[in-house]
Amino acid sequence: MAERVHLRRLAGTSWFPVAVGIATLVAVGALVEVLLLAGVMNRYMLPLPSDVLGAFRRVIMEENILSRTGDTAFEVLTAGFLVIVFGVPLGVLFHRFRILRMALEDWVAALAAAPIVLAFPLFLVLFGRGPKTVIIIAFVYGIPPILLKTLEGLSSTRGVLINVGRSLNMTPTQMFWKIMFPSAIPSIFTGIRLSWTFCLVTVVGVEFLVNLGGLGQLINDLAERYDLPGTYAGIAFVILLSVAFFIVLERIETWLQPER
Amino acid sequence: MAATGAIAARPRKRTWLDLESGPAPSRSAVLGVRIVFAIVVIAIWEAISASGLFFGDVVPSLVKILASMWRLLIQDAFWTNLQVTALEILVALGIGAAAGIACGIILGANGFLRKAYEPFMYYFSPTPRIILFPIMIMWFGIGVESKVALGALSSFFPIALSTSAGMALIDKVLIRVGRSFRASAWQMATKIYLPAMRVPVLTGIRLGFGLAMITVLLAETKLSNKGLGYLVMQFYQRFDMPTLYALLIVLFLIAGAGNALIGRFERASR
Amino acid sequence: MSTPVENAADPLLVIDNIYKRFGTDADATVAVDHMSFGVKPGEFVSVIGPSGCGKSTLFNIIGGLLGDYDGEVRVGKERIDGPHPAIGMVFQEESTFPWRNVIDNVAFPLELRGVPKSERQDRAHHFIDMVGLANFEKRFPSQLSGGMKQRVSIARTLVSEPRILLMDEPFAALDEQTRLLLGDKILQIQQQLNQTTLLITHNLTEAVQLSDRIVVMTYRPGRLKRIVNIDLPRPRTSEVVGSDAFGHYVAEIWNDLREEASRGMVDAEASISRRSAARG
Repeated sequence: MAERVHLRRLAGTSWFPVAVGIATLVAVGALVEVLLLAGVMNRYMLPLPSDVLGAFRRVIMEENILSRTGDTAFEVLTAGFLVIVFGVPLGVLFHRFRILRMALEDWVAALAAAPIVLAFPLFLVLFGRGPKTVIIIAFVYGIPPILLKTLEGLSSTRGVLINVGRSLNMTPTQMFWKIMFPSAIPSIFTGIRLSWTFCLVTVVGVEFLVNLGGLGQLINDLAERYDLPGTYAGIAFVILLSVAFFIVLERIETWLQPER
Repeated sequence: MAATGAIAARPRKRTWLDLESGPAPSRSAVLGVRIVFAIVVIAIWEAISASGLFFGDVVPSLVKILASMWRLLIQDAFWTNLQVTALEILVALGIGAAAGIACGIILGANGFLRKAYEPFMYYFSPTPRIILFPIMIMWFGIGVESKVALGALSSFFPIALSTSAGMALIDKVLIRVGRSFRASAWQMATKIYLPAMRVPVLTGIRLGFGLAMITVLLAETKLSNKGLGYLVMQFYQRFDMPTLYALLIVLFLIAGAGNALIGRFERASR
Repeated sequence: MSTPVENAADPLLVIDNIYKRFGTDADATVAVDHMSFGVKPGEFVSVIGPSGCGKSTLFNIIGGLLGDYDGEVRVGKERIDGPHPAIGMVFQEESTFPWRNVIDNVAFPLELRGVPKSERQDRAHHFIDMVGLANFEKRFPSQLSGGMKQRVSIARTLVSEPRILLMDEPFAALDEQTRLLLGDKILQIQQQLNQTTLLITHNLTEAVQLSDRIVVMTYRPGRLKRIVNIDLPRPRTSEVVGSDAFGHYVAEIWNDLREEASRGMVDAEASISRRSAARG
């Protein structure tokens, strides 16, 4: 009885469930290791988890991981930068001219849902095999979310705040910079987070598909060499890196949210 | 004196901020803007095509693309490959949805499991899933199975997350209503939980469909011998640009239609 | 075993020495502190008290949705243990099913019991008519006003023909006019069906307008302060609100209530300043 109460208290803390989650992951890894060693599972499909951990070190030391990460980061950040430079003003423009919004918002939303990456062969032909092409594809992918979120943020400025501005006889420019834009910032940053996540996924995806520089190509190289533990380690590395990237973006976004 | 009076009486000047609150543009104006926009895009396209700025057929005239589209659509190759891809996507979505809804319900019903395992799903979902393709090939071979597996894996996460969120967000008073009328566990599930969750589940399925479709098609472009993704690569390697454009346009239309269809269900069930 | 014959004067619903507290030993809140009272057949009883006095806790205990308390709730001679078929609950929150239209919402309890479709439509129709929504049967809740939605909930509970109607501030989210009109409706239905009713509320006018007896609760811990008999003539309508006798009752009960409500307010303010002090 006392034990159950104790467990219930533990379950209420914030770290305990997380610890259970991580413990489960470790346990699954250990189980797979045992099953592989016992020959129940096939080693040609799954490498030993301990080998994968070992390969981590090898992949990091021997595969130019720093310069590859640099290549990918360069592409992601360039596309991300361009997306902000074009996406936010486009959102403002759509807000400014309501007719533009009514005519084209649905089209932008459709663009956001369309499987554009699939057109990567076209982009290769148009812009050549190089980082430029990767950046352009990521840019096209990243534009809609930031545009739509900027628009949403601006148009959901609370009416009473706009009336406050009017009562103070603010000029349109003041209204924009002092009221509308600041109140849209949290939404704009949500757009940035979405766009940048899209950019990262697209950049790594295209790199993998066309075997072109950066981290995506690393996975390809390792897989083509039939380096099983290396492939798994490489994939895990890229996933961890994207999670870290995502968490940083998310932190910034929460930090920008006004206090409730 | 007179001057201040004049200022006070003057109607406030319409500023560009008022455009939001002003009268809505008419339908014909909206249509007009759409048409003008489309014409401008087409004109630019045709101008680039005619200018010879790009080599050969890289930017073909729209007439050429439409002609290729016609030739593409009367080919058997298109339809047989469409069948393969559609089947892969549907099976992937079916598996992903069944597993996702089941996991979502378990996680949504249990706060502890939710806290323990949901972070993994949440943080895994914005990662480039296509890089798991080599593993899928090791496990399921280079045939349709590996594409289905990757598609199922991709669609699983949004469906599970959105089901679990939907479950946790059910209005608690509706559950109390069910209990106060002494509904059985089965009745609670079928008459309260499932209908209350239908919108988030459908949203998850819509997102899952998008991801299953894109991963299946991309996997086909990477390594396969049938399917529309394979066809894309065929036209690319033959440098048959007009047909490549035509095929991509058809694909985008199919994707849009699928999305719109699920979106309609979603709205109808609100 | 023979069922004991119920005397008309015997209470149909008995709240017997209910005690309920929340939290652990160190910092426990007593929500309901040894409350006892009864509701006789056909009687309309209101429980009134300031916000935070444990009224809703009492509601959930009587409805069988909350366990783990001391004391007993009985229907006739039977001790309840979980939701009881004789008790029909109407909740404070908007509780219609958004995916069902009005008639399907109201027919819900009958559907659970496996009543055939045509019969449940007929019975649902009868009660929809009674709450005055006959023209809205095919509408969905999203197309109705707050007051209409609450009437749907009431009809949904009435259709199960509970011996005791148990309501928790069903008008809390409505504006004053709608409240008075709905009060009228409730009076009319209650008198027409001779429905035994227990209403939980913090609204004094509403309680006096509707009740035969009013149970006044204290602010935390929720104890019974006193029971007031309302000897206003029946059948009543909302016009009773204008009478002298009505004003007299309101003033009398307000005296009791004011003391409790101000204790509640002081408490709330103290907890807010504690919280901001902790944050600062």
